[in-house]
Amino acid sequence: MTAGAILLILGFFFLGGSALFAIYWAAKTGQFSNVSEGAATIFDEDEPVGTPTDRFPAKKSQ
Amino acid sequence: MNSPSLLSSLNPSTEPDALDSIERAEIDASTRIPVLLFFASAIFWLLVGSSLGLVSAWKMTNPALLDSFSWLTFGRLRPAHLNAVIYGWATPAAIGVGLWLTARLCRIPLLHSKLLISAAIIWNLGILLGICGILIGDGRSIEWLEFPAYSTPILFIAYAFIGIWTIIMFRFRKPGHIYVSQWYLFAAFLWFPWLYATANILLVWQPVQGPAQGAINWWYAHNVLGLWFTPIGLAAAYYFIPKVIGRPIHSYYLSILGFWSLALFYSWNGMHHLIGGPFPAWMVSASVVASMMMFIPVITTAINHHMTMRGHFESLQWSPTLRFIVFGAVSYTVVSLQGSSMAIPALNTITHFTDYTIGHAHLGLYAFFTMILFGSMYYIVPRLVGWEWPSATLIRWHFWLSAVGILLMVGALTLGGLLQGLALYDVASTFRSSLEFANPFRVLRGISGFILLAGQLVFAFLFVQMLLKLGAPKKGPALFTKPAEQTNDTVAI
Amino acid sequence: MNKLPLIFVGIFLTFTSAWIGLVAYPTLNLGEMQPLPDEETGGVLPPTTSGLAVAGQKVYASSGCVYCHSQQVRWSPLSTDIAKGLGPRQTVARDYLREKVAFLGTMRTGPDLSNIGARQPDTNWHHQHLFEPRTVTDWSIMPSYRYLYKTQKIEGQPSSDAVQGLRGPHAPKLGYEVVPSEEAKALVAYLLSLKKNYKLPESPEPSEP
Repeated sequence: MTAGAILLILGFFFLGGSALFAIYWAAKTGQFSNVSEGAATIFDEDEPVGTPTDRFPAKKSQ
Repeated sequence: MNSPSLLSSLNPSTEPDALDSIERAEIDASTRIPVLLFFASAIFWLLVGSSLGLVSAWKMTNPALLDSFSWLTFGRLRPAHLNAVIYGWATPAAIGVGLWLTARLCRIPLLHSKLLISAAIIWNLGILLGICGILIGDGRSIEWLEFPAYSTPILFIAYAFIGIWTIIMFRFRKPGHIYVSQWYLFAAFLWFPWLYATANILLVWQPVQGPAQGAINWWYAHNVLGLWFTPIGLAAAYYFIPKVIGRPIHSYYLSILGFWSLALFYSWNGMHHLIGGPFPAWMVSASVVASMMMFIPVITTAINHHMTMRGHFESLQWSPTLRFIVFGAVSYTVVSLQGSSMAIPALNTITHFTDYTIGHAHLGLYAFFTMILFGSMYYIVPRLVGWEWPSATLIRWHFWLSAVGILLMVGALTLGGLLQGLALYDVASTFRSSLEFANPFRVLRGISGFILLAGQLVFAFLFVQMLLKLGAPKKGPALFTKPAEQTNDTVAI
Repeated sequence: MNKLPLIFVGIFLTFTSAWIGLVAYPTLNLGEMQPLPDEETGGVLPPTTSGLAVAGQKVYASSGCVYCHSQQVRWSPLSTDIAKGLGPRQTVARDYLREKVAFLGTMRTGPDLSNIGARQPDTNWHHQHLFEPRTVTDWSIMPSYRYLYKTQKIEGQPSSDAVQGLRGPHAPKLGYEVVPSEEAKALVAYLLSLKKNYKLPESPEPSEP
């Protein structure tokens, strides 16, 4: 068996294993539940839902 | 802020705490030096890469242009252009956006910024060496992997620092839900080294036999788009669209579904670049099927972004970030559907070896990804330097030059490519006619290159002004400006 | 979610399948492919190539020829490659065993070169064409590769390898000659070696073109 083949097999288990682990972990820690709350995690009291946070710079006259 | 101890990260508390504006500003400020370093070098390489592309474009209509120098021959300028924009512009800019988003979404100030600063410096040295290597004739002519073998290890070391940093940040993040953008970012930051290492080992350092190379080459090249640029672009879109308009994403469930289906189907796509090529038929067929399956993540993303924007389209008038990002998100849908259709063998046999493919590549890399990067930078940079963009007019110029330039380029190459492809396909037609059909469209493409470069120069000018804090002073950083104060702004398109 | 283990297995397989199919399989299978014995000549298929042609492949790579020229004949009838005379049959994996880098290419801005050695077997034609493409094909948009050639004063006898019949603005003046560099000679040797007109059992020539 060549070095390449060994590398490929190791790579397979490493990649497959980490994908498997990622999904298992995500499901276990509830990343797939409470999705409506998840969507709101980027908002907080200071920049709540309903507050735009970007606009063109104001003209000098202001 | 001290790094959390190993013990505390093994047993993190479960109380998510809301950010206040000071804490958020602290997090943003902690990313300042590395992110600005990545952005500045990226913009430099964008200008270099676009100039290289512009010269190669005009060489196709004027073959005698600058033809006495070996280092300016088309066959070296074109890969130098590609590598400068992929590894010099898009990758560092994506890393910069990724770093900033990671710090914000992990809700902790950036840890180990020296690691990132070293990574940025080493990366740029690797790019410089690689581009010069291609121009002096050390290029490998393996598409997307042209850098000579002496520059790729440098890039890999630089990248390894970033990969390690991502894992540390993810580990030490504040507890709470992992926002969908984090999924995309974390995955992209781990996929890229795997792709890059595999392709470099099998094609550059220990090359496999000729016949196997094409498959690995296109597995790599396509996945750089699909598993590196696309996830970062979507991570930015999933963060900035809701954040800018102040409305949560329409269906968070769909966004998660989109993430996993992208991961599953995209990696099979690469072989559609080799339809009809010297490979077992099942490999190509599998890629064609996977390309069709890409409709799932693409449609879910398109619906989601559209539904989030619905009723807020007037926001495009007042937000530079949103205008660029929505342009990018729409282009993502278009380019993905076009890409899937190009895998259909009947269409592929016409478009395969033509300018149509070049148009498709620019639709993906410029209209989608580069526009998303520009939009993200419009949001991020003011929060890093504590200064407002000096001129709304110039931002509008940048947007319209980019939008018109890229639409002209893609339109010209698509039409020209179809005519060229039909001439190449038609048995009664000569090769010469394929050149004659394509030529006027190549002239248009050359003109569009000037327009795009002009837009980039405007952006570079704005960016330098930001770094030097030129222009009218604002009352405070953009971050702290209350929406009530902003409502009086002049609205113009 | 009691079917969770099943979902895991499904995702595990899909996620890594692409890597197995598009990386591991070609590396292990196509990467170990061997030439076939040629019963007619006692040699092997694909035929071995000269050392100069191997050196020429490096020049092909460093000049970036692959960005305009493909080296593959696609299947018939889905493509018209065979009918358009790019080659007598579809190219298959075994055809590329001799290539350090398989320059399959993704563009046909210029013509396909799978069989250029059979279509244009004349060495001097290739030198003329590389030196100034528009002297042999006036509508060509190929760049000139003059930098691979040296214009020198003829001293005594003209060099035996001087390029003959050059025209155009860069043609040598009276008393001067254009000689190819080692790189140009290697590149032409490589181009002449591009002949996929031998028979392979896995790629029969189609009965009707």
